Amino acid sequence: MARRVERKPVVAVGVTIVFFAWLYLPILAVALFSLNDKKSLSSFSGFSLRWYDDLVHNEALLDSLVASLQVAAAATLGSLVLGTMLALGLERIRGRRGNLIGAVTLLPLVTPEIVTGVAALLLFTGIGLKLSLTTVVLAEITFSIAYVTVIVRGRLAGIALEVEEAARDLGCTPFQAVRLVILPMLLPALLGAGLLVFALVFDDFVLAFFTTGVDPQPLPVRVYSSIRFGVSPAINAIGTLMLLASALLIVAALVLPRLLGRGTSSLDLITGGRR
Amino acid sequence: MSSAPTTNPSVTLRGLTKRFGGTTVVDHLDLDIESGEFFSLLGPSGCGKTTTLRMIAGFSDPTEGTILVGGEDVTSTPPHKRDVNTVFQSYALFEHLDVRRNVGFGLRRKGVDRSSIDKRVAEMLELVELGDRAKDKPSRLSGGQRQRVALARALINQPKVLLLDEPLAALDLKLRRAMQAELKSIQREVGITFLFVTHDQDEALSMSDRVAIMCDGVVEQCGTPEDVYERPTSVFAAGFIGTSNLMNGLWSDGCVSVSPTVSIPAPGHQGSADGDPVSVTVRPEKIWLTEHTPGMFRLPGTIVETSYHGATTQYVVSVGPDLTLTVLEQNLPRMRAEDRWSPGDRVEAGWLPEHTVVLR
Repeated sequence: MARRVERKPVVAVGVTIVFFAWLYLPILAVALFSLNDKKSLSSFSGFSLRWYDDLVHNEALLDSLVASLQVAAAATLGSLVLGTMLALGLERIRGRRGNLIGAVTLLPLVTPEIVTGVAALLLFTGIGLKLSLTTVVLAEITFSIAYVTVIVRGRLAGIALEVEEAARDLGCTPFQAVRLVILPMLLPALLGAGLLVFALVFDDFVLAFFTTGVDPQPLPVRVYSSIRFGVSPAINAIGTLMLLASALLIVAALVLPRLLGRGTSSLDLITGGRR
Repeated sequence: MSSAPTTNPSVTLRGLTKRFGGTTVVDHLDLDIESGEFFSLLGPSGCGKTTTLRMIAGFSDPTEGTILVGGEDVTSTPPHKRDVNTVFQSYALFEHLDVRRNVGFGLRRKGVDRSSIDKRVAEMLELVELGDRAKDKPSRLSGGQRQRVALARALINQPKVLLLDEPLAALDLKLRRAMQAELKSIQREVGITFLFVTHDQDEALSMSDRVAIMCDGVVEQCGTPEDVYERPTSVFAAGFIGTSNLMNGLWSDGCVSVSPTVSIPAPGHQGSADGDPVSVTVRPEKIWLTEHTPGMFRLPGTIVETSYHGATTQYVVSVGPDLTLTVLEQNLPRMRAEDRWSPGDRVEAGWLPEHTVVLR
């Protein structure tokens, strides 16, 4: 046996710290300057909540916030229903055909979002659909189905096919077997997928930018257009709030499924299930 | 319940066939399972036993043939309308429901009223000795307990026949032995027909009223455990159950000549003409190396290999060129270590002619 040298991984720790600093310091700066009492974005002169006050009285921004929440809720609901149905259907297609269809459903995950956005825009204008929040929802659902399907299929793989047969054996029609047994067992995955999709859609910019109408615009689009006329610290304030809300949802996606049962949460599927 | 089969069929299969693509998995199966019987389908994996079970449950459609349950043709009845229930190999418990709701699931589907369900669930949990675990989720139970929940969940519906798909396969050996005895006693108590699928010959022999040995989609032999063990009718049946000394030879004048020097008499055998190729087999525990009795057929030989198995010792005896016999001897109280045979010892292998089984 070679002698085992136990050394502190100094380099690895250093790289990790630099990485996280690079990732989060700019965000922290945004949060910090949202509390600045001057309009300056370079020097912090004193603590104040005036930009949050500005925000609360900015009708256009608040409308956008509501619009984004509505879009996220509708897209979550839509993609949950369609994505779950797709996952249940794929479960029944075995062999090469199933693999092919499964791979096709994953395409939106790897397609550059800008391509999806342009394609959606071309489609909607081509068929004469007026751009509005509805078209944003349609585009976001198309994009989010893949996430739901991946997460639900991951959970389905852990439920033996025999469970559905057991339900039918005990007197369920195929539909009842799904409603009374499969869906309840999928609940943690559905919850996780829903929270994830909500968080993704809520602050999605690219798709929203291409497919939204004029008024009201989803929040990220509104923020982008106002930045073009100079960055107001009110943007920092709303950015900070969005960050907190998204973080809260991600944490909920991680924690809630565990509280509901021993099922794997959606984040386990992404992080590899380390606990 | 009387253990003797009556002429009251619980499951009747006629010409049951299943093909997947070009492969025939179950090939024109005819089977009659009597009411109240503990019937086992025994065979190696891929022999079609599980497919047969799935067709009876309704999860798989037969390519040809008919299935009757309690005299009623259910061939095209969907699973939820069949009067059969299944204990799955993976148990397939509903993890989101507690034990009580798992067990009561079938009765709720049938629309039985709440108080009767509660009463019957309590009785059933008592039967499988899980009365104190009613409110636990299945994930909190051990393998053996999960197995009992699966059993209770199926039995509570009082089906005409209970299908069991290798239900003990996931348990460790000791627990499996205990569950075998328990399954058997529960079956006697409830009197429901059990159709048990297994690849474990010990399990099939010790639990069943009757056993059907399956191979390549057909039943090789069907009979009581004693029938299939003592009087195998095919080379496969003899080889699959227990150890057998299988020798090939030619039939001539009431004997099977298995080598130029060895000819084994088989007085009970009929229907072969001189010169027919046949196989002959004798079970290892039927062969005696000492204390021979008059009338035994004897073959001189040499011990070439011994292996100690605790309760028994197994010897390999060479009785001719390229001809060995496996012999199983009990390690009886009067036997001491120094009394056992060692390689090189000259012995005489003897057995009663009635234990010679000739297979065509």
